[in-house]
Amino acid sequence: MAELPLNGVRVLDLSHVFAGPTCTRILAELGADVIKVEARQRLDISRSLIMTDNDIGDQPWNRTCYFAVHNAGKRGITLDLTGEQGRDLLSRLIPHSDVLVESFTPRVMKAFGLEYETVRQLKPDIIMASMSGYGQTGPYRDWSAYGMGLEAASGISAATGYRDGPPIRSGLSFTDPLTGVLAAGAVLAALHYRQRTGRGQFIDLSQQEGAIAVLGAALMDYQMNGRLAQRTGNRSSWAAPQGCYRCRGDDDWLVISIENDEEWAAFCRAAGHPEWSQDERFADVLARHENHDALDSLIEGWTRDQDHYEAFHLLQRAGVKAAPVLNGKELLLDPHFRERRHFTVVDHPVLGRRPVPRHLVARFDRFEPRVDSAAPLLGQHNREVLQGMLGLSDEELTSLEAEGVIGSVPLMDLPADVPFEVLWEMIQDLLRLSLEKMLEMGAVQAVEPDYRQQLGL
Amino acid sequence: MSDAALSDLRVVDLSQGVAGPYCTKLLAEYGAEVIKIEPPGGDVSRRLGPFPEDLPHPEKSGLFLHLNTNKKSVTLDVATTSGVVVLKKLLAKVDVLVESYPPGRTDEWGIGYEQLREGCPQLIYASISSFGQTGPYRDYGANSLVAMAMSSIMYNTGEPHREPLATGCEPAGYFAGLQAFAGILAALAYRERNGGGQHVDVSLVESVAAADEYNAAMYAYLGAIRRRFYSRHVFGYPMDILPSQDGYVVVIPGAEGFPRPLLDEGASPMSLLLEDLELDQNPLFQSMQERYYRWRELDELLLPWLTTHPSRQIVETAQELRMPFALVPTASDLLEDEHLAERDFFVEIEHPGGAKLRHAGAPLRMSETPLHSGPAPTLGQDNEAVLREVGYNREDLGILRDRGVI
Repeated sequence: MAELPLNGVRVLDLSHVFAGPTCTRILAELGADVIKVEARQRLDISRSLIMTDNDIGDQPWNRTCYFAVHNAGKRGITLDLTGEQGRDLLSRLIPHSDVLVESFTPRVMKAFGLEYETVRQLKPDIIMASMSGYGQTGPYRDWSAYGMGLEAASGISAATGYRDGPPIRSGLSFTDPLTGVLAAGAVLAALHYRQRTGRGQFIDLSQQEGAIAVLGAALMDYQMNGRLAQRTGNRSSWAAPQGCYRCRGDDDWLVISIENDEEWAAFCRAAGHPEWSQDERFADVLARHENHDALDSLIEGWTRDQDHYEAFHLLQRAGVKAAPVLNGKELLLDPHFRERRHFTVVDHPVLGRRPVPRHLVARFDRFEPRVDSAAPLLGQHNREVLQGMLGLSDEELTSLEAEGVIGSVPLMDLPADVPFEVLWEMIQDLLRLSLEKMLEMGAVQAVEPDYRQQLGL
Repeated sequence: MSDAALSDLRVVDLSQGVAGPYCTKLLAEYGAEVIKIEPPGGDVSRRLGPFPEDLPHPEKSGLFLHLNTNKKSVTLDVATTSGVVVLKKLLAKVDVLVESYPPGRTDEWGIGYEQLREGCPQLIYASISSFGQTGPYRDYGANSLVAMAMSSIMYNTGEPHREPLATGCEPAGYFAGLQAFAGILAALAYRERNGGGQHVDVSLVESVAAADEYNAAMYAYLGAIRRRFYSRHVFGYPMDILPSQDGYVVVIPGAEGFPRPLLDEGASPMSLLLEDLELDQNPLFQSMQERYYRWRELDELLLPWLTTHPSRQIVETAQELRMPFALVPTASDLLEDEHLAERDFFVEIEHPGGAKLRHAGAPLRMSETPLHSGPAPTLGQDNEAVLREVGYNREDLGILRDRGVI
C-alpha cells in the first residue's frame, strides 16, 4: 500500500467534540499518528452524544456514534492534566510529537501550564494549533463556544431563514467542520514551512473569524450599497426559479436551480410542459424573478407527482441543476457516494462493523487517504503509548491508574449517599434519546430496526 | 522579517466562481504566487454582484474582489491551440494548477492532467468539480443549493412542516475551496517525501457532505432517520436562536446550565440568568427530556425575560455564568464589532480598479509566517510581466493580443 504523506508525523490532540477532532481526523486520514488525550475526570463531551442502538450498555462512553465517527483512525490515552503527574507525562510526550491541537478557551491551557511558550521549550519546532471559539486575544477570548453559537456569531445565521422569518440555525454545528478543514490546511502549511526551515510555530485560529469569509459578498454589499443580506429561504439573487419543491412520498423534496433561458427551456421540455417556456410571465430571467411565486406553484404541481430521485436524473440529464434532498439514510445509500467510497467500514471493538465518512474528501491518484482503525476506547492505548514511547514500567502504570491519572473508566464526582441503581437510572435518562417521542414530535422520521441489513453490515 | 509559509510555491489558477478562487485566495494569503488565468471575458464572478449602486462593472464586483485578493491576472483563452502553447510555457515553472471546469473539458483542450503530467511530472493538478471526476453523477451540475441538498444537512434544517432550508450565504464553494486547499497541501507533502505531482479531485457535493455531523451516523448506528425540527440538535433544548429585546441571541445553556439533580448544589446558571431562582424547582428545569418535548412551555418561561433584555447583555451575563450563548450579528454588526476590531480582523484594501473596501482578513494567525492580504487584480493586468518572464517579447504579445488569445 502506498505510503501516506503524513506517515511519521505525530499529533497530540487535546481537542473535543467536532472542530478540533475534524482537523486531527484529516491528519489521521493522511497517515499521521494522532494521539487523542482525554481525562477520566473530563471526557470528550461527544462520548455522551448519541448511543449506538440507543443502548447505553455497560460502557456508555465507548458507545456513542458521534465519537466513533469523528475519531476513527486515532489512538486514545487518558491523562488528568489538572494534576502534576498528568502534566508531567504530557510534557514527556511533547518532545516526541510534531503537532499539538487544542480547542479550549485560552484560560484552560494557561491553567494547565501549556501555553505555546512552555510547549516550545519542550519541543522547539512544535506546531501548536489553538482553535478556540473566539481566538486567543480580544474581549471575547474567554467566551465559551459551541458550533451552533459560532455559526450565528460568524454572521451566517442572520442570513439563513425563510423569507420574512427569523434567523434559523443550520441543522448542524456548521462552523465546526468548516474550521476543522481550515485548521488541517494550516497545519499542513506549517509542516511545509518546517520542512523548509526547521521552524515550528503557533497557530491562533478563531472559529468565528475562520467562517466569516463565507460572508464575503454580504460584507461587500453592505459596504457598497448599505444593504444587509435578507433571509430569502432557498431563493437566489441570481438563479430563477430556484427552490425546494415537494415530491411524491412522505417527506421527499427536490431542489431546482435554473440560471438562464436555455436551462429554463430545457426544464420545461423535461417536465413535459414546453408551453411554460412560451408563457410571457416567465419569458426571461427578470420575469421569472418577478413571478417567482406563480412559478413555484406550477413547478410544485409537477414535482408532487415525481419521485425525487427520478426527477433528479431526468432534470440533470436535460442539463438542469437539481438534486434530491437526502436524509442520513439516503446519503449512506446513494450510488454516487458509494462508488466514490465516501464511507469506509471500520471494525469497532464494542460496536462492530460500522461506516465512517471521509473528513478530507479530496481524492488523489497516488495514495488514498484512509482510516484503518475505529475510534479508540477510553484509554485504549495508555499502555502502548506510555510504555512504548516513554518506557514506563508496569508498576508505574498501575500506580498511575490507582491515582486516577490514567485509566479506561471515567471518574465522576458522584454523591456517595445515593444508591448506584438510582444514579444509573439517572444516567440512562441523560444519555438515551426517547426515539418514540421524537418520532411522535417529528424530530425523527423513522426508526428501522433492520438498518444493518439494509446497509449490508 | 518573517517569511510566508508557502512563499516557495507558484500556482496557476484556471478556476472561476467561488470554490477554486477561494482555494487560491488561501494559497495566496499563505504566500504562494498565484497567477490567475482568466478567459478574455474575465472570471464569471466579475459579472456577478454585488456592484456599487448595482451597476455591473468587471472591475467592481464585490464577490470577485473578495475572492481574488493577492493574485496576478493574465488573460488567456486556453480553449485555443495558441492559448495552450502559452499555458504550457507558464507551467514549466509552476507547482500547482487549479481548475474548475466540468470533468473532461480540459482534456478536450489538451491540458488535462494526463496530457500535462509527462511534460510536468512535478505538477500538482487540482480539479474542483460539481460531483468529482468519477462516479455515476460525474457529468451532473451542482451549485451551493444542490450541494446542500445532497449533504443531508438541508433535510435537517428548517421548520418541521415546511420545506427544508439551505444555509445562507451559499457556503458550498467555501467548503470545497478549503477541501481543495488541504488536498493540494497533502499532495505537496507527498511530493516532498516521494517526489512527483499528482491529480487532486475535489467534489463540491462531497465537500459539504463531509460536514455532516451525525445525520448519517444516526442511521448507521441506530437506524434512526433524523428530520428537521426547528434546526434543533437531538441532544436537548434549548439550543436555538430566540428573540431578545433588540434582536436575537443563541440560547445554549450547555451541559451545566440547568440544575443537575444529585450533582449540583446552589442555584443553576439559567435561574441566575433569568433572575428567578425558583425556576430550579420547575420540572422543565430539572429534566432534559421534559425540556425537549415541552419546549413551547419552556419558551414561555424564557421569553418574557429574553425579550425585555438586550442581546449583548444577555450574552455577556450568560458567558459570565459559563454558558456558551452567542450573538447573532449581521454583516454590519461584524464590521463594527469590538472584539474583531481589537483583533484587527478586517483589513482595508485599495484595489487597482478603484474600490477601497474592508475585507475579511486572514482566517487564522501564524506566529512565524503571518498570512497577508493584497488587492485583487484588474483583468489582464499582469499579462505583460508574466508572459515576458517566460520568454515572450513585445511583438509576440502584440500578435497574441490581436488574435484574441490574451
